[in-house]
Amino acid sequence: MLTLALDTATKACSVALVQDGTVLAAYDISINLTHSEGLMPQIDQMFRRTGLPKGKVDRIAVSIGPGSFTGLRIGLAAAEAMAYAWQCGVSGVNTLEGMAWNVPVEGIVLAPVLDAQKGNVYTAFYTWQGGALQCLTDVRMLSGSELLRQAGELDRPVLLLGECLRLAKRESLPQNVTVAAEQIRLPHAASVGLAAERKDMLSGEGLFRLRPFYYRKSEAEELWEKKHPAG
Amino acid sequence: MQDKDIYILGIESSCDETAAAVVKNGRETLSNIIASQIMVHRRFGGVVPEIASRKHIEHVLPVIDEALKEARVPLERIDAVAVTYGPGLVGALLVGLSAAKALAWAAGKPLIGVNHLEGHVFANFLNDPDLEPPFLALVVSGGHTALLKVTGYNSFEMLGQTRDDAAGEAFDKVARVMGMPYPGGPEIEKLALAGDPKAIDFPRAMLDNPFEFSFSGMKSSVINYLHNQEQAHRPVNKADVAASFQDAVTDVLVQKSVLALKGTGLKEIVLAGGVSANKTLQDKLAAAAGSAGARLVHPTKILCTDNAVMIACRGYYQYVAGDRSPLDLNADPALKLG
Ligand SMILES: [Zn+2]
Repeated sequence: MLTLALDTATKACSVALVQDGTVLAAYDISINLTHSEGLMPQIDQMFRRTGLPKGKVDRIAVSIGPGSFTGLRIGLAAAEAMAYAWQCGVSGVNTLEGMAWNVPVEGIVLAPVLDAQKGNVYTAFYTWQGGALQCLTDVRMLSGSELLRQAGELDRPVLLLGECLRLAKRESLPQNVTVAAEQIRLPHAASVGLAAERKDMLSGEGLFRLRPFYYRKSEAEELWEKKHPAG
Repeated sequence: MQDKDIYILGIESSCDETAAAVVKNGRETLSNIIASQIMVHRRFGGVVPEIASRKHIEHVLPVIDEALKEARVPLERIDAVAVTYGPGLVGALLVGLSAAKALAWAAGKPLIGVNHLEGHVFANFLNDPDLEPPFLALVVSGGHTALLKVTGYNSFEMLGQTRDDAAGEAFDKVARVMGMPYPGGPEIEKLALAGDPKAIDFPRAMLDNPFEFSFSGMKSSVINYLHNQEQAHRPVNKADVAASFQDAVTDVLVQKSVLALKGTGLKEIVLAGGVSANKTLQDKLAAAAGSAGARLVHPTKILCTDNAVMIACRGYYQYVAGDRSPLDLNADPALKLG
């Protein structure tokens, strides 16, 4: 089964082709080029170079968030449109979970983080056990220092992934916490594709149910609700 | 004569409508699907860009699917995908554009980026099978007020535009000051029906350049009038204010249009943009154009507001001219007309 995977949740524009646990191609750019300009040419070049026929794709895997709202929508619009044109399935993968697939190693806790602005991060704790990824917490939004405090209390080594560099620079890390090596730190579509192989697909009109996972409401709605408390 | 029919799929998401349409040979509407968000934004008093983008991503593929199904044209039979890439809200534009690029690439179809404002002008081709360039276009919307000379299907010459507020923007701001819900333009028009257009003499800014507009002074004088009446505890007849304000705006639009008709010698003028749905503007411009020996063409109500039929129509004329867009086409929120 051939999966085309994409991740545009962060500044990394990442696309990959994955087949039954094997990564056939992976193409990552993380130098702040716009996803709007880069995503489709990157996908196009990957198909040209591999010579794989685009009509043979069985599934599109896409990182659904949390992440940059605009980036998520560019990825989802593209994923849904390609799945519609090819009449194939689509699987949404949580961006944090996708990063946890970068490091399928047992005995440690993985803490992927994404910038939620104003000193906050989106995060969840994961661990690998018996070849399967376990979720230790829900996705949460908390301050960077609170995240490090919670990570420091764990009895195992903790690996920070994702948009964690500024956090590590600002605060001193607890003894059991380290930042992941650069080549596995950011979201990679190859991981999203591998994660998706264990998930259900949306297909047919079900495609239209694909939604970004924003985590929070728009600022305008948050303000409006503050001014108009329920009741 | 064409040896085969050409079907263009149009996609539009520049503001608060998600739309898709199929047009045959540039002039025949096969489907026109619009998911409107007006009610979603009303409680905020205007379009909230992030909320608009969130609605677009929910609607864009269902709307495309419905447009193809209603037209009974399968995706394989489409000749090109035309999509608005500006001007508009950048986050909103990116949803339609991303979907269009991926759809076109995956289905192996050419992609055609369309200027939304040119689309509004081209809405007139769908109403009037006889309309052909050259003609004059008065573009009036919430973001634009311009007089454009359409010299050919793919050539335009800007004669003049607004120096400050767009006409539609002035309508919306005056409506907001009078406590009317968003969008204010149609509300003013409704209220004006019951008022006297000559009740209050609001200034009509004519400027030195005969083809340029200015509406901010007119808007301010309405706001000042309301303020002064309130200070003096004098009652305000809102219907009279609406009617007089609308009269002032349409007077300027009509006079400048007539000057442009006379200056260019053109015999046809088309209306384009959201404000072209205003009945008073249509009637006054039709009469004035008639006296100047010219004919007015305006879109039907559904084609005055944002839609994808006009995008597909504009895309058709770009398609036959060999115009194609690259896969790295980006949204241009400030894309210019002409
Ligand atoms: Zn418009």
